[in-house]
Amino acid sequence: MDRAQIVHKNFLDRVNAADFPAGAAPSGPLAASEAVGIFHAQVLSRALDLTSRAMQKAGEGFYTIGSSGHEGMAAAARALRPTDMAFLHYRDAAFQIARAEQVPGQRIAWDMLLSFACSSEDPTSGGRHKVLGSRALMIPPQTSTIASHLPKAVGAAYSIGAAKRHQPEHQVMPEDAIVMCSFGDASANHSTAQGAINTAGWTSVQSTPLPLLFVCEDNGIGISVKTPNGWIEASMAQRPGIKYFKADGLDIYNAFAVAREAAEYVRTRKKPAFLHLRTVRLYGHAGADVPTTYLSKAEVEADEANDPLLHSVRLLNEAGALSPMEALKVYTDTCARVERIRAEAATRPHLKTAEDVAVSLVPPKRDCSPTNGPRLEERAAAFGSDMRAMEEPQPMSRLINWALTDLMLEHGEIVMMGEDVGRKGGVYGVSQKLQQRFGPDRVIDTLLDEQSILGLAIGMGHNGFVPIPEIQFLAYLHNAEDQLRGEAATLPFFSNGQFTNPMVLRIAGLGYQKGFGGHFHNDNSLAVLRDIPGIVIACPSDGAEAAMMMREAVRLAREEQRVVVFVEPIALYPMRDLYAAKDGGWMRIYPSPDRRIALGEAGVHGEGTDLAIVTYGNGRYLSTQAQAELAVRGVNARIVDLRWLAPLPEAALLDAVKGCRHVLIVDECRITGSQSEALMALFAEQGDAPTARVTARDCFIATGPAYGATLPSKDSIVEAALKLAGAKS
Amino acid sequence: MTRTAVLICPGRGTYNKAELGYLHRHHADKAALLAGFDAQRLAAGQEELTALDGATRFSVSKYSRGDIASPLIYASTLADAQSLAKDIEIVAVTGNSMGWYTALAAAGALSAADGFKVVNTMGTLMQQQLIGGQLVYPFSGPDWQDNPRRRTELLTLAAELNARDGHDLALSIDLGGMLVLAGNEAGLTAFEAAVPVLDDRFPMRLANHAAFHTAMQAPVAAEGRSRLSAEMFTQPDVPLIDGRGQIWWPGATDNQALWDYTLGPQVVETYDFTRAVQNAACEFAPDLFIVTGPGTTLGGAVAQSLAQINWKGVAGKADFKVRQAEAPLLISMGDDVQRSSATG
Repeated sequence: MDRAQIVHKNFLDRVNAADFPAGAAPSGPLAASEAVGIFHAQVLSRALDLTSRAMQKAGEGFYTIGSSGHEGMAAAARALRPTDMAFLHYRDAAFQIARAEQVPGQRIAWDMLLSFACSSEDPTSGGRHKVLGSRALMIPPQTSTIASHLPKAVGAAYSIGAAKRHQPEHQVMPEDAIVMCSFGDASANHSTAQGAINTAGWTSVQSTPLPLLFVCEDNGIGISVKTPNGWIEASMAQRPGIKYFKADGLDIYNAFAVAREAAEYVRTRKKPAFLHLRTVRLYGHAGADVPTTYLSKAEVEADEANDPLLHSVRLLNEAGALSPMEALKVYTDTCARVERIRAEAATRPHLKTAEDVAVSLVPPKRDCSPTNGPRLEERAAAFGSDMRAMEEPQPMSRLINWALTDLMLEHGEIVMMGEDVGRKGGVYGVSQKLQQRFGPDRVIDTLLDEQSILGLAIGMGHNGFVPIPEIQFLAYLHNAEDQLRGEAATLPFFSNGQFTNPMVLRIAGLGYQKGFGGHFHNDNSLAVLRDIPGIVIACPSDGAEAAMMMREAVRLAREEQRVVVFVEPIALYPMRDLYAAKDGGWMRIYPSPDRRIALGEAGVHGEGTDLAIVTYGNGRYLSTQAQAELAVRGVNARIVDLRWLAPLPEAALLDAVKGCRHVLIVDECRITGSQSEALMALFAEQGDAPTARVTARDCFIATGPAYGATLPSKDSIVEAALKLAGAKS
Repeated sequence: MTRTAVLICPGRGTYNKAELGYLHRHHADKAALLAGFDAQRLAAGQEELTALDGATRFSVSKYSRGDIASPLIYASTLADAQSLAKDIEIVAVTGNSMGWYTALAAAGALSAADGFKVVNTMGTLMQQQLIGGQLVYPFSGPDWQDNPRRRTELLTLAAELNARDGHDLALSIDLGGMLVLAGNEAGLTAFEAAVPVLDDRFPMRLANHAAFHTAMQAPVAAEGRSRLSAEMFTQPDVPLIDGRGQIWWPGATDNQALWDYTLGPQVVETYDFTRAVQNAACEFAPDLFIVTGPGTTLGGAVAQSLAQINWKGVAGKADFKVRQAEAPLLISMGDDVQRSSATG
């Protein structure tokens, strides 16, 4: 008999025999009817666990990671409000069920069974994944990358106070909400969890409001690896800025009382707390996991003897709320009810086509109040002496700064965050004066942790803000990329568009800084971004276009709820000259604030038909130099600037090279996994001109004089162009 | 083997000419129950139920009054609920509009006598104050196809009319494929003028009905709260599904909250009968839906509500007929033929 059936039989036998595990007497503020309600949620959670396994055996269900042993979370749910955003551990079905009772009109058993069946009618993910989650219950669905939901919980909690000062049009949480985030004892060790907990404390000790309740469900084991005795308490009880609470998750009276106390602390003090909840894990990690292969039978049976449902029956009886026989009837009635519902849920439709699955990659558009832009006097006050400078051509860094200023003036829900973006104004000065103009709560100097920066942005995006986080250098994205790949990009997908985290992620990157910084400041691979479904990647090549693309990026985030990555070529930030010193050929006049470059719109420079050079970023700058030299050599070239690297503007590119006899792709990124691969494929499949490419070598970038040795240069572009198109003179 | 069933208690408008004598025909064995109701009526100076039910002549103007229709329907329904065959296991109880009061009693959250007190009091208050009126208008197609767009159009229209000076109009009941709108005379008349006539009868005014389930009933709700004590409300014996689709579980019900809802939001906010039926299906998956008598008119709304969620493969009227012929999903106790399969 499998452990699930053993636990089931134990429950029936022991309740019938009035044989209950020992424990404290019921005490605290839990009312009888509420205690019984919690028990109902616990029982339904258990019945669903049993049914999920039966469904899998019958080929009707596709998920068996259960919540058995963690049903005490139902008590934690009742200690919170249903408007408190909850980022849940995957063992928290009982929490979601208990919360469903707080919101009229839910169909929680049906909804959960639809999700087991992966039916397209599953109201959470639309049949894409078995996830806990619900828009009505303020539970954004979570992914399975361990602890990756903690950083955004910090961000969401921060957003509550921020919304009080700058109310976003699409605010989701009320001002007195708190955020709850749960995870297991094993996950607590993950560097992502540690980073988020550290960020919460770092924020709290500075008295920045952060109403966040961490709930660690400590069952003492992570799949097969035991947590050292007392580890969670030892490592979490003394964290600066975070108050520690400890409760027994097997005792709904105690769990409710302590969770309520912790929630009250968080809500009134606006400070984070850590609720350490003791639980047990029944029947292994998931359906296929057999715990007796790594635990002794005695250890497994000891946990089973502590079944929280048995504790609840004892407690309810002692409290005079429900007799054991009444409790048994709740259990058997619920099991029968769930079986009946299962029979219907299993008949509901599934997703079928690739289009069905992919439709929620792109979130739905939302209505935003129209704006006429900032008033003249507001602009004058914000820009000050920069207003006069606008009449003169300027380098890219300044034009991006001005575009950000105009956007932040126009949209109060825009918030920037990153390392050194505030007081310092960014490593390259792109965000200079923005903190002076908009205050430290809209231009946030974060601590040194990229996961926390992205988590802050994601969490604020959950509450209606349009965050513009900055990653200081492209190479620094990598330790945090799961926050984009596993979290931000997947949220609309797994919530069927019901939850979104729009943002414009600015990343300073790419090569060509003359001798400065080496690889880690000149990283030239975007492969880690290119394959993430649903995100938009922008890469401007001159200042005016950067300003106009930034406006489009913010529009995409604000109105279409997209996640946009805005890659800013560092080497072009200060670039003034094009062909010769002091020619000022790469500076631009600041474009009028109403002008933008639409997603999918490629840039075409020149009308030559001998050759089309398809490129972006620094490649456009170098190709423009090459274009002049090629003209001298009798090759009339045009330059086609991708501008938008993802989704690749295929139609615009094919149109732009139409009539050109040759196509040369110039890609400053490493050849493996770079844009050039997709472009070569595009022109091979759909183009009709001979195509070649110049790319960077598969090599890291050197510091010092050889900084450009592995990268395309004007000369290598000219050489490749002549080789492809042939010199005419 | 037992048959699981969700019991559905009908609302106003179900005790008509054909139902005259319902209590006498079907419930002569429940003299004690009816005597208790009669005693309450006499004490309040009102005509006895058994006399009303036993009358030889039916008059719409009289029998559609709140202080007469409500207690008659309540008594007929509750008596029907007590007449079910032994193999039927009631897994949940719900109701439509005033049927909520009956559901409370049928589920054991109110005693039969207290339920009667609630329904008689509220029916009498509604009749005394008679604030506004109701009309019915369909949005689904002839085969009951759900038509959310049409529904939205009608509700948008209602909201526009409601915004006019001196006009009150709001959604009163979501009733399967139909909307019950409630408002003042100006609001109702404006709606009637704005929509096409369907089937020669819609939009249809409901005689002697007030603007139930709208903010206009706030005075009635307030008076009800002052007259009806929360102490009457107890834990239900079986789950109750209210007019929001919310389930009130035995043992887990906050009696004060149940009183608050019953004499608060239930009276002054939209009653979503459709959601109640659909949640009954989804959360209890019963073998049967049993609509107690009197009358048979609520069966259509139940079936339409189920068809909207394609329950058990029933996607429309034609499917439903086939299903009913093969293995009935719905029993209306007001229909003599169907009644026998519920009473055994």
